Amino acid sequence: MEDQQQVILQRTGRLLTVTLNDPRRRNALGTALFDSLERALDAVTASAGDEQPSVVVLAANGSAFCSGFDLEACVHDTALLPTLVDRLGRLTAQIRALPAVVVAQVQGAALAGGCALVMSCDIVHASADATFGYPVHRIGVSPAVNLPVLLATAGLGAARRIALSGEIISANCAASLGMVHRIHADERTLHEEVAALAQSLCAKGPHALRATKAWLNRVDGTDSSGALGSAAARAAQATIAVCSTSHSRSMLESFWQQRRSRP
Amino acid sequence: MSERASLTIADGCATILLRRAEARNALDCDTIDALRQCIDAAATECDSKRGTVRTLVLAGEGKSFCAGMDLKGVLHDAARMGDMLRGLSSALLALRRLPVPTIARVQGAAIGGGCGLAVVCDFAITHPEAKLGYPEVDLGVCPAVVAPWLVRRIGAGPARSMLLTGGTMSGDEAAARGLVTSCVAAADLDAEVAALTARLSTGGAEALACTKRMLNELDGSLDERIAVEAAELSARVIAGPEAQTSLSRLFASKPQGGPAVPPPR
Repeated sequence: MEDQQQVILQRTGRLLTVTLNDPRRRNALGTALFDSLERALDAVTASAGDEQPSVVVLAANGSAFCSGFDLEACVHDTALLPTLVDRLGRLTAQIRALPAVVVAQVQGAALAGGCALVMSCDIVHASADATFGYPVHRIGVSPAVNLPVLLATAGLGAARRIALSGEIISANCAASLGMVHRIHADERTLHEEVAALAQSLCAKGPHALRATKAWLNRVDGTDSSGALGSAAARAAQATIAVCSTSHSRSMLESFWQQRRSRP
Repeated sequence: MSERASLTIADGCATILLRRAEARNALDCDTIDALRQCIDAAATECDSKRGTVRTLVLAGEGKSFCAGMDLKGVLHDAARMGDMLRGLSSALLALRRLPVPTIARVQGAAIGGGCGLAVVCDFAITHPEAKLGYPEVDLGVCPAVVAPWLVRRIGAGPARSMLLTGGTMSGDEAAARGLVTSCVAAADLDAEVAALTARLSTGGAEALACTKRMLNELDGSLDERIAVEAAELSARVIAGPEAQTSLSRLFASKPQGGPAVPPPR
């Protein structure tokens, strides 16, 4: 079925660009996309010395950065959703722990699992049209799996608002909450500015960058032994428990029916 | 008290003045020691004359508030480097613990550890042309000592972006990003500081002290372990080949010595 690469990897010196490449499905997170992302990040973690990238840019092709889980696949395979939640929890933890600075380059929608990916990155640049949020309660899913990282990034008040309301917020609003660090007028400027940032990061001492990232994880509690890091596993379990119920399943199915019948 | 820093108290306002203008108040061992003595003396004054000292202003003599850590003299001396970073980390904690509201008067530059001093204060006032920021990673240095304070000031997400990106920013941008609490025309800097100290002095001294103590407890400011770990980590990274090479190159290009400030991006 895979007629194209789900993820495109491009290596230039110390920079690794990881581009989600399923624009037709708005880069929805399914099994194949997770497989590719995990492989790419595993390779970063396993590499050493000059082989190890010091900067990773996480980008996406198409009009949306990532619209969340592949719900169509979840409707067809009842066991899939809990698996995807588990994999999302691991993937976001892996991004946070990665010994490289991770920059998110976001255009269009970064919702639910897509927003979770962005929140686990170190630096977030977005185009003015980008949107963020966790509109998942309507399908009977909880965003709890991403709460520890969201909390560390946006602070208590903002995390509570975003996670409970399920509202989709603009790039400007996300910036005011500390979730986005730079906004660019259009996609072209976004690409240029992220390229310039990546270049400037690559010129810095990789050891200092790694040490600083690890220290920030320690300070904000998102390292594996920190309060938020150790809460992540519990959060994933709680999320899995919620989305495994029959009520959640029927909500997902009716949501999908409505979407399909939409003109 | 050493000449590198002074403490004066007038009209209920204590002022700590960094006095190393010839090096833009860069923090070497002596300056950090002098600053620490002033902070401790201010704490004693606050305790002994309860309610009479109402605010503390931290300022720097000359053109710049503080250009950062002066690593030149200790670059190859790991033991003294460690002492210096521990000294700074512990001075920042002592400054935070003062029971009165503290205000940094930031003119010219507040870079690296100097920016750290401004951010530890409860308030920081600067002017649009000032240069602030944390260019540590640009030099292969880890801003571990200042990181926890920046996280407490602007939040973990924005702090992460700022520290990993490095570089410096204008006073305007520093205000927009929450690094300082206000930015006024350079000519109005003293008036703004005076207005704020006057305003803070009208509140109940015990109430302000209690509020500050509570905020310090809630945001983790009193975590001594983090402060100690930060100094150790920072010293370790500076002792590594990456920082040694880049700092040696920087000092060789600036034979006059002075602080480690990279060119603006």
